[in-house]
Amino acid sequence: MISRKRVVEAEIDQDQAAAVADETLHKRTREDLLISSAVAEETSVMEVDNSQVNGMQIDADGSKPDDIDEDLHSRQLAVYGRETMRRLFASNVLVSGLQGLGAEIAKNLVLAGVRSITLHDEGNVEMWDLSSNFFFSEEDIGKNKALACVLKLQELNNAVVVTTLTGNLSKEKLSSFQAVVFTDVSIEKALDYNDYCHNHQPPISFIKCEVRGLFGGVFCDFGPEFTVSDVDGEEPHTGIIASISNDNPAMVTCVEDERLEFQDGDLIVFSEVEGMTELNDGKPRKIKSARPYSFTLEEDTTNFGAYKKGGIVTQLKEPKILKFKPLKDALRDPGEFLLSDFSKFDRPPLLHLAFQALDRFRHEMGRFPLAGSEEDAQQMIAFAINLNESMGDQKLEEFDRKILRYFSYGSRATLNPMAAIFGGIVGQEVVKACSGKFHPLFQFFYFDSLESLPVEPLEPSYFKPLNHRYDAQISVFGSKLQKKLEDAKIFIVGSGALGCEFLKNLALMGVCCSPEGKLTITDDDVIEKSNLSRQFLFRDWNIGQAKSTVAATAASLINPKLHIEALQNRASPETENVFDDAFWESLDTVINALDNVTARMYIDGRCLYFQKPLLESGTLGAKCNTQMVIPHLTENYGASRDPPEKQAPMCTVHSFPHNIDHCLTWARSEFDGLLEKTPNEVNTFLSNPDVYASSMRNAGDAQARDLLERVLECLDKDRCESFQDCVSWARLRFEDYFSNRMKQLTFTFPEDAVTSSGAPFWSAPKRFPRPLLFSASDPSHIQFIMAASILRAETFAIPVPDWARYPKKIADAVNKVIVLEFQPKTDVNIVTDAKATSLSTASIDDSAVINDLITKLEECSKKLPTEFRMNPIQFEKDDDTNYHMDFIAGLANMRARNYSIPEVDKLKAKFIAGRIIPAIATSTAMATGFVCLELYKALSGGHTVEDYRNTFANLALPLFSIAEPVLPKTIKYRDMSWTVWDRWIIKGDFTLRQLLQWLRDKGLSAYSISSGTSLLYNSMFPRHKDRMDRKVVDLVKEVAKVEIPAYRRHIDVVVACEDEENGEDVDIPLVSIYFC
Amino acid sequence: MSSPSKRREMDLMKLMMNDYKVEMVNDGMQEFFVNFHGPNESLYQGGIWRVRVELPDAYPYKSPSIGFVNKIYHPNVDEMSGSVCLDVINQTWSPMFDLVNAFEVFLPQLLLYPNPSDPLNGEAAALMMRDRPAYEQKVKEYCQKYAKPEDVDATQGDKSSDEELSEAEYDSSDEPLVGKPD
Repeated sequence: MISRKRVVEAEIDQDQAAAVADETLHKRTREDLLISSAVAEETSVMEVDNSQVNGMQIDADGSKPDDIDEDLHSRQLAVYGRETMRRLFASNVLVSGLQGLGAEIAKNLVLAGVRSITLHDEGNVEMWDLSSNFFFSEEDIGKNKALACVLKLQELNNAVVVTTLTGNLSKEKLSSFQAVVFTDVSIEKALDYNDYCHNHQPPISFIKCEVRGLFGGVFCDFGPEFTVSDVDGEEPHTGIIASISNDNPAMVTCVEDERLEFQDGDLIVFSEVEGMTELNDGKPRKIKSARPYSFTLEEDTTNFGAYKKGGIVTQLKEPKILKFKPLKDALRDPGEFLLSDFSKFDRPPLLHLAFQALDRFRHEMGRFPLAGSEEDAQQMIAFAINLNESMGDQKLEEFDRKILRYFSYGSRATLNPMAAIFGGIVGQEVVKACSGKFHPLFQFFYFDSLESLPVEPLEPSYFKPLNHRYDAQISVFGSKLQKKLEDAKIFIVGSGALGCEFLKNLALMGVCCSPEGKLTITDDDVIEKSNLSRQFLFRDWNIGQAKSTVAATAASLINPKLHIEALQNRASPETENVFDDAFWESLDTVINALDNVTARMYIDGRCLYFQKPLLESGTLGAKCNTQMVIPHLTENYGASRDPPEKQAPMCTVHSFPHNIDHCLTWARSEFDGLLEKTPNEVNTFLSNPDVYASSMRNAGDAQARDLLERVLECLDKDRCESFQDCVSWARLRFEDYFSNRMKQLTFTFPEDAVTSSGAPFWSAPKRFPRPLLFSASDPSHIQFIMAASILRAETFAIPVPDWARYPKKIADAVNKVIVLEFQPKTDVNIVTDAKATSLSTASIDDSAVINDLITKLEECSKKLPTEFRMNPIQFEKDDDTNYHMDFIAGLANMRARNYSIPEVDKLKAKFIAGRIIPAIATSTAMATGFVCLELYKALSGGHTVEDYRNTFANLALPLFSIAEPVLPKTIKYRDMSWTVWDRWIIKGDFTLRQLLQWLRDKGLSAYSISSGTSLLYNSMFPRHKDRMDRKVVDLVKEVAKVEIPAYRRHIDVVVACEDEENGEDVDIPLVSIYFC
Repeated sequence: MSSPSKRREMDLMKLMMNDYKVEMVNDGMQEFFVNFHGPNESLYQGGIWRVRVELPDAYPYKSPSIGFVNKIYHPNVDEMSGSVCLDVINQTWSPMFDLVNAFEVFLPQLLLYPNPSDPLNGEAAALMMRDRPAYEQKVKEYCQKYAKPEDVDATQGDKSSDEELSEAEYDSSDEPLVGKPD
């Protein structure tokens, strides 16, 4: 897969590798797979490039674009871009400490694709570790931790060199790395390592991270002077200029098309300004008084040329320099802590102290405090008090001993959800350290989830280890909750990136791992190559297999006790026979792992209906959010939503694009029209000409006419019989799209056209287009012809000759095509209509044309070979060899050239046209960690809404915003009140009349009753009065065409009604009628 | 504003309460037709259009899709598909708007004040800019040919057996525009 593209340089020590290899690892189907792990006491010495800045390597020999496997990494490239990925590919990272946290960090980094990762651990695997490290199995107990991980880690990405270090780590060894991460190191040693890293030339980025029970903390030091090249990962903002004043300071106004997103102090550059051309010098300028559509410029433009028109402003993103403090200074003077939960604003300083006290305890006692031991807790608190006394002006006035006690109790445990959260955070910090992309964490971050503890008091006996893999978790939550986790019935919807992480988490936590427990996972998708860079349960030999099945098998290897069933059904109204009432009623909790709002809304509706907790999450690049939907406690997912995505206006896309997105939207729709819709239409006609003709005659409108014209064109004038025909077609399409249409448009609206109000027609944001002159020596023109003719040939089942892939040969073929000179049409339609005016009835002209077209079509179909059919092409963005993206990028870029819009490369085109959702492993893993902290609460039961947390996080900034969920809206009517979670139940097989009376008895006048999207009754429709004495259940069956399963005893209807007294709308609950 | 789940019902009801003639197909609430009268004082006065309204799943968060069924000559209406390029309907839609706003305010405004700078029917826009009398003539011709009340009623009878009449007796007077906040 990747080995072809990247040279793997590590030595292989087969003997030792075999010694740690798990049997299950040898299921490889591919002979050529290269195991590149080096297992050795000493790390192989890696060359350190001299051109290091900030400890990051820069490609000194220029760009090597081929080294990024774009099919594999497309979703991640959409977040980072090529430059960051290349820097990542050049970075060597150390991860020290391989419990759950180390494993999560290493997994995220191997998936992201660093050059090498070295695993350091001197300890051996214990049963205890199985609760958080998903690489370990019971057979690994007694083996060195790093050695037990290495092969499974290596499997995730062969392009990364994974090595181990099982002996003592001297600080001099750190010089081989650009970034080092310590997950289990004493403060004493950390100070020593950090001192070395901070003062190294170039500095080595140092990260120290710990998770202890429900508490976690990170510290980052990227050196005395670290350059951040991109502080937020957002595209530079732009604006289209409407006017610029000759003034001091100058005022710049932009078109009111989109709000400007500049901030005071931003640097911008001007381009394309006409008149005041002095601004086009490329010099960065600072802005102030940034408003939604204007800003001022700190510049005197009084003597500049007068602004005429045009112009674009683009934000210039500035690099930022951060001066990190070394650990020894930062411990004493930690500066501002990054806050995550405003209800715990005073907690970070306390946790800062707690982690130091724990370090002191371990140092003094040589062990962790025991779970549930009051004595150990008091000892640790005493250390904390001591430390606090020595803090000088940083000293805390008072602190919550209860929190410290819980910290002490659970401190030995690494909980999987905490490891997933901090693994995501630290993974991202390493990427930042290696690339300069995104703003680093500066410098301490602490987080706890004490609310995850069960509500009822925990007896010390609950914490007793049972000598099984969940002992660490039991030491925090007690064995009672552990049993609840194991017996849970859970439904995970989706088995993609989030789904894989959830399965791993649940397997480690022991959720659904008893014979009573049951985990159902469903996904109708199959594995594609682009999934592999973050959906870590999949391997390249799984490509094409069902996601849910492969993921379930992999999760069972993590914990063989996992009781899981994998299904391939899309969760939608069509599969309610599979996911029936009995299934839903059996569930304890539902976890969404979806990638689209429609499916989320559907599952939300089901959970609302069956009153099941729904744990919802989603990611977008470095951002993630989680939302808890708990029956009766919180609002449901659908109760609040984001505004729908803005779409470009039709007229803009049709004729007046002003950015590449508009061109790509147009290109996508042309692709669909030419290659999918019209061939489909042709086939519909050919498979039953008579039915087709009569349906077109029936429709009789302009659209039917247009369809017929396209079909006829395809079968008659434009029909292709040889590849040369396809080249001709492609050439004529080029002429039509990029020359003729532009000539027509600029004929209709000349450059100096003015609107009725006298303003120039071609004013911002509209851009005046110019036709392209085809040239066989322009590679982009030839690329377009090549992609278009190959795809055209595919639709006509014409074999593509080998020469079609050589630009030179395509150029020869295209030169043979005769292209006629174009004459713009002058009011053609008016002429046609003049003829039609004499006809009396409406739309008769269309009918006549349609009839004529059908006759022609029937004529021409006689000439076709029998059984002739076209092959419609469905757009597939992820195949680099199918020419789809080449064609779309070609279409979009040629159009961009018409309008002087900057062109984009194929990859960027793919991101936009393919609507590729940027995705990375770090934020995904973190999101599932946050959700699993909530899962403890949902399964334990008894928690109030104040215990639950929703999260929004952006690892790029970094930003954490954690808050209580929103309460459901309560509706009050007379002496009643209800929320969306309530339902009104009627026992009895009511008629419509009875139902209306039942409501009237409550003082409600119903004006509309519906089932799904069908109207059963509306008081304004006389016809519905006939339904009064019908049973509501029969109306649901007949009108709404609902099939009621034999076992179901009720139907639900939505009733819109008013208060009879004041006529105000009352939003009543869903009404369930139990008809038998 | 009431619960979004009942917005379709409420919007439909409000349309009918405002004396719009609504024609439903098989009692489905996702797609229906509404008769729309050319506003007074506009070139379109006296014409009647069947307007197809589609309510997406995410309505009212997502805008309704609105298209003219019988032909109309207008710079911002696609001649072939009848699609409307109107920012309040397409780009700046808000869940606070409803169908009555669309029919009482947005569409009348569009017909009263065409915007030739953002044309969907380029030819109509160009003609409006270049030769106003010819443009006006053509708008009226289209009205007479394609938007006659008797034809609109006839098409309905032909095409749908499930026609609904609003209870209030339908009258052909164009209600003057009520000043509604946007």
